[in-house]
Amino acid sequence: MNFFSQAAAILWKDILTEFRSKDAITSMLIFGLLVILMFYFAFEPDRLEIEKFGPGLLWVTFIFAGMLGMNRAFAGERENDSLQGLKLAPISWAAIYLGKMLANLAFMLLVEAVILICFAVFFNFDLVPRLGWMLMITLLGTLGFASVGTILAAISMNTRMSDVMLPILLLPVILPLVIGAVSSTAAIFTDPPGEGLAFWLKFLVVYNIVFLTVALLLFDFVLEE
Amino acid sequence: MNYLFAACAVIWFLLFAYVFTIAKRQQKIQDELARIQELLDHPRNPGK
Amino acid sequence: MKLQTLFALLTFVVMLAALYAIFIYAPTELTMGVVQRIFYFHVSSDWISFLAIFFAVTYSIRFLMTGERELDTKAAAAFEVGFIFCTLGIVSGMIWAKPVWGIWWTWDPRLTSMFVLWLIYIGYLMLRRLLESPEQRARLSAVFGILGAVDVPIIYMSNRWWRTQHPQPVMGGGESSGLEPQMWVAFFLALTAFTLFYLYLWKIRCNLEQTTETVETLQRQIEIRLKEAR
Repeated sequence: MNFFSQAAAILWKDILTEFRSKDAITSMLIFGLLVILMFYFAFEPDRLEIEKFGPGLLWVTFIFAGMLGMNRAFAGERENDSLQGLKLAPISWAAIYLGKMLANLAFMLLVEAVILICFAVFFNFDLVPRLGWMLMITLLGTLGFASVGTILAAISMNTRMSDVMLPILLLPVILPLVIGAVSSTAAIFTDPPGEGLAFWLKFLVVYNIVFLTVALLLFDFVLEE
Repeated sequence: MNYLFAACAVIWFLLFAYVFTIAKRQQKIQDELARIQELLDHPRNPGK
Repeated sequence: MKLQTLFALLTFVVMLAALYAIFIYAPTELTMGVVQRIFYFHVSSDWISFLAIFFAVTYSIRFLMTGERELDTKAAAAFEVGFIFCTLGIVSGMIWAKPVWGIWWTWDPRLTSMFVLWLIYIGYLMLRRLLESPEQRARLSAVFGILGAVDVPIIYMSNRWWRTQHPQPVMGGGESSGLEPQMWVAFFLALTAFTLFYLYLWKIRCNLEQTTETVETLQRQIEIRLKEAR
């Protein structure tokens, strides 16, 4: 098996286990919807305010919902004591990382799609003309989030309070990503699109490349015993 | 001028507080070491 | 031990020289007045807190490559002392900002990066505290340290670029705008003094860490012996 089919195998395993229980996706989804509900009552935004606060709201929701999923990613392996088996399997550990990361990415994208639809419907915001850009930004932002989040989740699962530790480690590191994602989303929320769009998209691509590389290089040390 | 004095006081206070905690921790660990030494010298009756 | 005393003396002398230069030798700045003298402390601490994370991370990387525990204690000590200077940088920055800009805090790229750096330092120290097995603690905190250090320039640049999009009122001139020659002397002396002081603190912190580890190993051995004796 080459590296990528190893990663694909891990990805497939995670998708299968998730679709048997649906724990992570359900909790992320409900959490996301609740945040949107809270936001509506906290600010009661009008059309202009949606343009202004919408990007921030969306990314805060994505990130906190994503964090719930990240915590599950390795906690499940630990509870069932299957991490040992995974490590003994004749595959490279970087492939475990890549598979897990892609699984997190897939779950998050699924949840984000639903949140986006609800956002458009609840706030009466027309996403269709911006859909292409929105998907691209969401993909780039979520990829960066998943690549940093997966390795930090693997680190924080070893601590005593792993669910608290993950945000403490993760949020400062992904701050540039949040800036990039929110700025580019804000750029497409206005008519016509703002000028910063191309710049921030490039920034997101660079962030992804840097952190994906570093995480792939370092992941072996995280699992080592 | 007073403000400047207060500002420097704050800065130096922070630094000295840190040095103090290091000294304190060092003292604690030295005590512990002494206790262990004691234990090793008189293994019959472990102190406490 | 001798060398360390010598180093402490050197640090002390340079520190005194820096204090003299800051408070007596350097002229008082015209627009900001005497308060400007905080600048020397502030920029030095900022400088150290950025330098420290890279200094610390070189030990983390070397630790991951060789697996020598001593390198890990050095990295840990460097992170902790760096955290102290980062706190100092933020506090002195706020003290300086209040009389000059009239506010304690502004989301300026430099301040924001310092703040995020501070959070990364805290994350590192908390992670170390919460991991129990020593080998695991060494490895995982090294990995997080490297991720954090890689992020530092990205955080700074992203903040700057973000700022150019959201213009804010200009507050005071840039801090390096037209320093007098005497001010430069004081500035470099302060920088040297702080760097030496950082290294000195790091050294004593290393010693502490190593003693602690020795004691912990001894304690474990004693426990095993006591169990055997029973």
